[in-house]
Amino acid sequence: MESASVTHAEHHGPPPAHRSSRVEPPVLGMVLFIISEIMIFGAFFTAYFFIRVVTHDPWPAPGTKIPEAATGINTAILLVSSLTIHWALVSIKRGNRFGLKAGMVLTFLLGLTFLFLQVNEYVHLGWAPRDSAQATIFYSLTGLHGAHVFVGLCALLMVTIRSFRGHYSPEHHQGMEVPGIYWHFVDGMWIVVYTALYVL
Amino acid sequence: MATTVAEHTTAVTTPARGRSRVPLPAKLRRGGWYRAALFDVLGLGFAVGITALLRFVNHQHPVIDGHAITTVALFSVPVFFLLGLGAFDYWLYWASGRPTRPETHEDHGAHSWRDYFRVNPDHKVIGIQYTVTSFFFLFVGGMLAMLIRAQLAKPGMNFLTPEEFNGVFSVHASLLIFVFVIPVFAGLANFVLPLMIGAPDMAFPRLNALSYWLLPIGGLMMLASFLAPGGSFATGWTAYAPLSTDMPIGQLFFSIGVQFAGFSSIFTALNFLVTIITMRAPGMSFFRLPLLVWANFATSLLVVIATPFIASSQFFILLDSALHFNFFNAFVGPHTNGNVLMYQHIFWFYSHPAVYIMMLPGFGIISEVIAVNARKPIFGYRMMAFSLIAIVVLGFTVWAHHMFVSGMQPWIRIPMMVTTAIISVPTGIKIFSWLATLWRGVLHMSTQMLFALGFITMFTLGGISGVMLAMVPFDIHVSQTYFIVAHIHYVLFGGSLFTIFAGVYHWFPKMTGRMLDERLGRLHFWSTFIFFNLTFGPMHYIGLLGMPRRVYSYSAQFAGWNLFISICSFFLGLTFLIFLWNIVASWRHGPRAAGNPWRALSLEWQVSSPPPIFNFETIPTVVGGPYEYGVPGAVHGVFKPPAEARRPSAVAVARE
Ligand code: HEM
Ligand SMILES: [Cu+2]
Repeated sequence: MESASVTHAEHHGPPPAHRSSRVEPPVLGMVLFIISEIMIFGAFFTAYFFIRVVTHDPWPAPGTKIPEAATGINTAILLVSSLTIHWALVSIKRGNRFGLKAGMVLTFLLGLTFLFLQVNEYVHLGWAPRDSAQATIFYSLTGLHGAHVFVGLCALLMVTIRSFRGHYSPEHHQGMEVPGIYWHFVDGMWIVVYTALYVL
Repeated sequence: MATTVAEHTTAVTTPARGRSRVPLPAKLRRGGWYRAALFDVLGLGFAVGITALLRFVNHQHPVIDGHAITTVALFSVPVFFLLGLGAFDYWLYWASGRPTRPETHEDHGAHSWRDYFRVNPDHKVIGIQYTVTSFFFLFVGGMLAMLIRAQLAKPGMNFLTPEEFNGVFSVHASLLIFVFVIPVFAGLANFVLPLMIGAPDMAFPRLNALSYWLLPIGGLMMLASFLAPGGSFATGWTAYAPLSTDMPIGQLFFSIGVQFAGFSSIFTALNFLVTIITMRAPGMSFFRLPLLVWANFATSLLVVIATPFIASSQFFILLDSALHFNFFNAFVGPHTNGNVLMYQHIFWFYSHPAVYIMMLPGFGIISEVIAVNARKPIFGYRMMAFSLIAIVVLGFTVWAHHMFVSGMQPWIRIPMMVTTAIISVPTGIKIFSWLATLWRGVLHMSTQMLFALGFITMFTLGGISGVMLAMVPFDIHVSQTYFIVAHIHYVLFGGSLFTIFAGVYHWFPKMTGRMLDERLGRLHFWSTFIFFNLTFGPMHYIGLLGMPRRVYSYSAQFAGWNLFISICSFFLGLTFLIFLWNIVASWRHGPRAAGNPWRALSLEWQVSSPPPIFNFETIPTVVGGPYEYGVPGAVHGVFKPPAEARRPSAVAVARE
């Protein structure tokens, strides 16, 4: 945001667009993207609904177990990462660069831990998606969410790099705020996934 | 403050990080076709490597497996291609915290034909890229239709094998739905919508360029399925499971091609919504928006909400067939507790809204064309806007009318029958509004007006057969017959395609700076109109008699009608050549177009044809409605800052 200062004397560009809404375009774009993402999850939850409720099969599949307690800890880890990224945002709004950097590094590490523990859980579950429809939807929903964590982590990594390179200021921090919205969405979605697959 | 429009790009799509530091010749370092070719090879190598690694880890032998490589390569090669072409360059610079190149706007606009073959952030270039690409797929899809009709010319014909026939009609439908009708509307709107609302470009120009480049990838992938071993996908455009989960590999070209086409339309829709909400000119309130903008607003809402469902449904197919998941595995053998009907629910939850994605932008085009050519304000402007929103909402409540005979719980049919009947009310409102706009107007029978009038009549017929299909007893009788084919083509050909033609004839002067030939245009309309009806009209009748759809042969009693239909359809195919000739000849040698050849009020007509590279010198101010034709002294927009624009008498740019 702050880098591309264009002050060529001969600079010829489009006239600045009129701003007809108080919403920032990147924020609105992210919100719409998240709506699409929610619908992707919606389709997966529809599959879950059909397999679990309409077909009326036992959950989880007979002879399998779902480790709700261990994953509960993992859930807590992801929730804390929402707090740390919020702390990073509040810090940069106050001009506290250390808080920004520390908050971003913490968030990234927490997210990475979550992903690592999730993969670890896959390795130790002892059943595979091809075993039953219940296993299929379990792996699909958690895997879909894991893919979102991965994408979110890529975005967080960029923000972290940029904050170490001196970007963002109390006035210009949209570049971290928008990926932050996405991260909150990933966290929020996990609550739904966790509740549906592990708790209920 | 340097936050230009172009700066507003979100960091959503940045799958790869880091770049190699190996010194490379300049041609390969810069984004473009050379680097794209190189990256394609890398993408293929990636697919080979990753599948070999995974199979090795899983003790699967041999580690090199063509099926697995194809599956991964269908994703990785296109993504690497886009990387090579430079679709992600700016974001990668931005993401790594390096200074992004100063915004010189050098890459903006088209100075030669070459500029249409690179990642170009200018919405006018993208609009033309989109439109031309989708018309290419229209011609390919049309050619496939000729093959279908050749096979069906008489019963027991051996022109195509049954498998080939299934492949041909599946690719025909998929191309025309996913890479013609849906994106061509996005293309036309890409060109005119920012101009109409007084914006210098779209909200996210680079995302816009990416959306475009995803489109030919999706289309070519579906087309390339003919080369796959075992033939192209042959499950119809609906790809019902579990048929589609144990098909030869050609099926993957559909499942994955749809992902690219789908993300293309999601990104465009998101872009339209943000542009419409945040970049309207001063004075352009929502109820002063031209109805084309309203229509694209509504369509974009549908796309953002519904398209993820088809993406997911095809992911399920992919997981079932490639990794043996059990979404739809419900018949024989162990672990067979998947749910087959779930596919149809998810598919139609997208695909019914999708039929409105294929229709609402056309409604917008027709409103523009009719108001300009009848020289009258749109009758009931607000009702037109509200009915669009009503269709968006109701569109999500009717999906199971495609499943009346699927074996779902019978009671669901009743509410779906009722909602389907209700949704024809807002559609009817629009028809009556157009008729009232025409009433006592001074009709200019230009080609686009002929297509608009043709649309109203044909779409009404298609709507009537639709309401008939909504009635469960009737639908049970004609489901899976040619009656459905007739309905589809009256709404999609006589409906959507006619509006597309109307739009092309209307905006061609604006897009190219040249006028089309009216005489050829009229010939095109009348020949299309006549042969369209002769081709698809009789299908109602043979459908009622019970001729099934999607079969390569049929009983002898339908022979006469089918021969007639096939002959008419070949003539219908020929009419496209008139259009093609008109476009090519006029684009090269047509008379120059004035800025406002149709004396229209909306903003895109108040600039030169083609528009200047940055659309406007200064952003105009909107002082009145867009359709006040025939109102003395009516003005829509003036090129003055808001403070000076209060008095409409001051140099009006648009005056009837
Ligand atoms: C008044 C409005 C409409 C109504 C009430 C209506 C109703 C229906 C119904 C009930 C069916 C299912 C028939 C069956 O498979 O047994 C159907 C099929 C279909 N409709 Fe419509 N329709 C309407 C408008 C449209 C429009 C505007 C389009 C597209 C532009 C469209 C495209 C289709 C397609 C493509 C199918 C066939 C899907 C397939 O099985 O391949 N319809 N329609
Ligand atoms: Cu429908």
